[in-house]
Amino acid sequence: MNKNNSKMLTADEASKIVASSVIRRRKKDARLKTYGRIAIGLAVSFLIFLFVSIFSKGIPGFFQYYVTLDVYLDRDRLDPKGDLSPESLYNGDARSIVLESLYKVINPKGRKEKKAAKKIISSNADVRISKMVLDNSKILGKTISITFAVDDDIDSFLRGYIKRETPSSERRINDTVIKFVDKLSAENRISYKFSDYILTGSASRSPEIAGIKGAFIGSMLTLAVCFIIAFPLGVATAVYLEEFAPKNRITEIIEVNINNLAAVPSVVFGILGLAIFIGVFGMPRSIPLLGGMVLALMTLPTIIISSRAAIRAVPPSIKDAAYGIGASKLQTIFHHVLPLAMPGMLTGTIIGMAQALGETAPLLMIGMVAFIVDIPGGVTDPGTVLPVQIFMWADFAERMFIQKTSSAIIVLLVFLIFMNAAAVILRKKLERRW
Amino acid sequence: MVSNSNINNVKTKTIGEIFSKDPKIICRNVDVFYGEKQAIKDVSIDIASREIISFIGPSGCGKSTFLRCLNRMNDTIDTCKVKGSISLDKEDIYDEKIDVVTLRAKIGMVFQKPNPFPKSIYENVAYGPKIHGLSSSKEELDFIVENSLKDSGLWEEVKDRLQSPGTGLSGGQQQRLCIARAIAVSPEIILMDEPCSALDPIATAKIEELINQLGKNYSIVIVTHSMQQAARISQRTAYFHLGELIEVGETKKIFTMPKDKQTEAYISGRIG
Amino acid sequence: MNEYTLLILLLLISLLWFYFGNKTALSLKNKQLKLNSLPHYYGIYVALYSIIPSLFSYLLILVFDGILFSNLIMEFVPKEILNSPDFNKIIVLAQIDNAVRGIYFGEQPDWVTIASNQMIEWNNQSLILNFFCSISLALGIGYLGFKNIHQEFRSRNSVEKIIISLLGLSSIIAILTTIGIVFSVIFESLRFFAIIPASEFLFGLTWNPQFEGAERAGSGQEGLASYGSVPLFVGTFLISLIALCVSVPIGLFSAVYLSEYANKKERSIFKPLLEILAGIPTVVYGFFAALTVAPLMRNGGSLIGLDVASESALAAGFVMGIMIIPFISSLSDDVINAVPQSLRDAGYGLGSTKNEVITNVIIPAALPGIIASIILAVSRAIGETMIVVMAAGLAANLSFNPLDAVTTVTAQIVTILVGDQEFESAKTLSAFALALTLIVITLILNFYALHVVKKYREQYE
Repeated sequence: MNKNNSKMLTADEASKIVASSVIRRRKKDARLKTYGRIAIGLAVSFLIFLFVSIFSKGIPGFFQYYVTLDVYLDRDRLDPKGDLSPESLYNGDARSIVLESLYKVINPKGRKEKKAAKKIISSNADVRISKMVLDNSKILGKTISITFAVDDDIDSFLRGYIKRETPSSERRINDTVIKFVDKLSAENRISYKFSDYILTGSASRSPEIAGIKGAFIGSMLTLAVCFIIAFPLGVATAVYLEEFAPKNRITEIIEVNINNLAAVPSVVFGILGLAIFIGVFGMPRSIPLLGGMVLALMTLPTIIISSRAAIRAVPPSIKDAAYGIGASKLQTIFHHVLPLAMPGMLTGTIIGMAQALGETAPLLMIGMVAFIVDIPGGVTDPGTVLPVQIFMWADFAERMFIQKTSSAIIVLLVFLIFMNAAAVILRKKLERRW
Repeated sequence: MVSNSNINNVKTKTIGEIFSKDPKIICRNVDVFYGEKQAIKDVSIDIASREIISFIGPSGCGKSTFLRCLNRMNDTIDTCKVKGSISLDKEDIYDEKIDVVTLRAKIGMVFQKPNPFPKSIYENVAYGPKIHGLSSSKEELDFIVENSLKDSGLWEEVKDRLQSPGTGLSGGQQQRLCIARAIAVSPEIILMDEPCSALDPIATAKIEELINQLGKNYSIVIVTHSMQQAARISQRTAYFHLGELIEVGETKKIFTMPKDKQTEAYISGRIG
Repeated sequence: MNEYTLLILLLLISLLWFYFGNKTALSLKNKQLKLNSLPHYYGIYVALYSIIPSLFSYLLILVFDGILFSNLIMEFVPKEILNSPDFNKIIVLAQIDNAVRGIYFGEQPDWVTIASNQMIEWNNQSLILNFFCSISLALGIGYLGFKNIHQEFRSRNSVEKIIISLLGLSSIIAILTTIGIVFSVIFESLRFFAIIPASEFLFGLTWNPQFEGAERAGSGQEGLASYGSVPLFVGTFLISLIALCVSVPIGLFSAVYLSEYANKKERSIFKPLLEILAGIPTVVYGFFAALTVAPLMRNGGSLIGLDVASESALAAGFVMGIMIIPFISSLSDDVINAVPQSLRDAGYGLGSTKNEVITNVIIPAALPGIIASIILAVSRAIGETMIVVMAAGLAANLSFNPLDAVTTVTAQIVTILVGDQEFESAKTLSAFALALTLIVITLILNFYALHVVKKYREQYE
């Protein structure tokens, strides 16, 4: 051996060379490690930046400014028909009653000042009084102090977004209004508290009374439809493809097809809904039923793929055991395979549902972008969903809508985090088994 | 540095001769833990220059784990902790000053399953010299590759297709390629972890012949399942059982008159 | 009485059949006769027999009466409206539909009242028809099934056969979805290409869609609308490129770090953190891009003397890049982990540093998978809608400058198709043509990526 080793290094020579190269190589190694750390640091700081930017805007969005007024609830003016019916109250004079109690505090002089004073209180103040009367008619004829939301411009002013220093002509509110607001603050009538409207109000063009309740319920209804359609169909398809499908061309086509559906951009499903469900089947637009159907088709591939993986992960020994005692194939699957695969299938389903909950584009195209004030009572009532509500609000110019949008995003994110946490926990459980 | 005074002064339950005259590697009271579980218990043994020593024992006895401690391959496992001392040329290999890169360049390793890189045969052998900077020119590199392939007995079979992928060779050829790759960096010691377990008898015979050849230039530590193989190729044999080193000695002695009952039971086939 | 009560009624009938089937089987068993299957299988058999055909007819009538009526009701629309140039079937139907629901917007023409009354009557008739058909099917076919019950009858096998065919049927839905997508896009696209030549669509350099009405309003200015899609594809390409410039290095280095350098604890913290990025809805990213990142970039740009558009490709692309980081990192992480440990061992056994093992062994081996993950990220970026709608704007500029406002294919599809459309106009149809090209592109990318991944898997199996 090694007869011709004039050039072959001995172990000593080799290890000397190696030792001399080590410092340089370790440096290179450390550099790559640093790049990796920087990459992760960047990704995480983007995440933090995103969350901070949304939460810093959104948390104040859950609060808003109110003005407290002593209102004399005149029975005759509020309830002209005297039957305490909603129609009667609607025809009543609540708005002027509120304004009069406001004038008592700030004493506007002349028409101009009165016009300015009208801008202070939200246009929703009369509805608030009507509601209070409807709830409790005994307050009629008494003077009680009631808090009303201030108009969104006043709210922005109180938050400091509209600045006093800005010249009056460039401000959305003039000096008279500011004078009145100062007066109200001086009398301690302005308060800042948790918003009555953000969680319980529904869509509105006035940002101070806009809320997410309608969109939230719309989201839940849509998601329910989506789940009811997608989960059974997804699991059934997965079971069929994993256990029963003959290995032939059709099965192959179905499999390739499912993989490709998973890659189709979500807008395309909107087009499908528009052209087929609305165009051919004549379904009405804007309803959660339609939204749920479109989203179900969109999430189906996710559910099928993860369910198949879950079924495949069930050890064959368990199936053999069931066959061994004479169970039929279907019994084996329903009694043994499905229960064991269920956590995995649910994980995939939750992830699919989370996707559906955050999806916007396809719903825009099937008309769920309509401006709907009513809160949907069923899957066939027109409605909108949270992400679409966010999209619409983000487009509005009013400053206060930025905060409300961020608040709506926070609600959406909280839900998504819950869903994903549930998926993670399920996955952990699944891992523990085998 | 491990001082000379205490290396031969060690308490051990191991039967037989753990010391050697010209020790290359000295292991003293080595414990290995995987998390809470102790995989190796108090093993002390010397490995001499240019000797072939085999580790035998039933599966799960820790022989592979111990082998992987010798070039710190266990570093890649997060939960693995090594206690006691292992020294190469009287330098503790777990010392902070020792760079694992230089250590592994000195102690080569051949694995159970042949694992050539998905590259050409040439690149496989040239990889080690390249990363360590052992050659300064293409000619030198060619020479190292040729020599290593000759030493591993593969040269005649592959010299015409050095650029074809290493994964295209047969199992036995792949394993010899891995040996060539290991000796291309001029190590002093080669660790072999059941190198023939994935091979057929003819390929196994070729590898065994190769190991016998290599034993003239390198220390070789070989973990094997086959007692016949241990008997055929090694000068010394160590018997492991449940993480403990039960008996060490000349191969002939171990196989003909084991002193320990467990060793005897294993050798005669009662523990499998 | 409405559709829901009918549905519940059908379910109750099948439940009843289950009870009878079960009871009969039990009574046979009590006569010491040896049954072929467990008694409840007989019940399930009869119940399935009753519910499946009745449910089918129920849904059939429910779906198709709407289609039928919406065509028949056109008889009630006055000629002058039908023939007027502003005629829009969808709006007319919505008018009638609102009247049916009792929603009124001011005074409505007489024909709407008549049509809606007719519609209400038809709906009632259809419901009664549905009621009779479904109930009689549920009872009749259920009875046929019930008569099948006798001692020798292999009810379990029959039930299983029915269930397996139901499972098979549900797997058809995926195919139907694809067919639906293809049909909804192809037909409208063909109509579009009948108006606008494909060559103009594919190679034209200006995109300026207009409704027919608008075209007429700008009288004499023919050719005001133009449908050259090149600016849209350039915009899509530009934004995707920016997104990749952000996400590929960050995603790849993160994947390498997490799979090779990080310890268990770091992995358990950072992997989920990166995955959060993938779970954030795109509308949130769009909001973030439009209200936080874009102003930041504009202000930053003006500080160093750059003129950044308020809706720049850069802001949208950058935020999209953040969004697809986890796609690249987790897919690459998967392929890096799929590189066999034995190859790593071989590298480390020779004394390689981690860097050397990664660059010489792992990356070359994982390269096909990494490329596939990047391709999938590209297809994701091309199909992304909300970020571009909200942050990149709708100005169809043909520009490669990342500081300009550009628009994308998806953004145009959404803006054209949101709200009421005239189905006949070239503008509406152009959205379908855009969707067709979008589908073709993403499918090609996806096919190629899956092909690469499959090849790569085979290499290690």
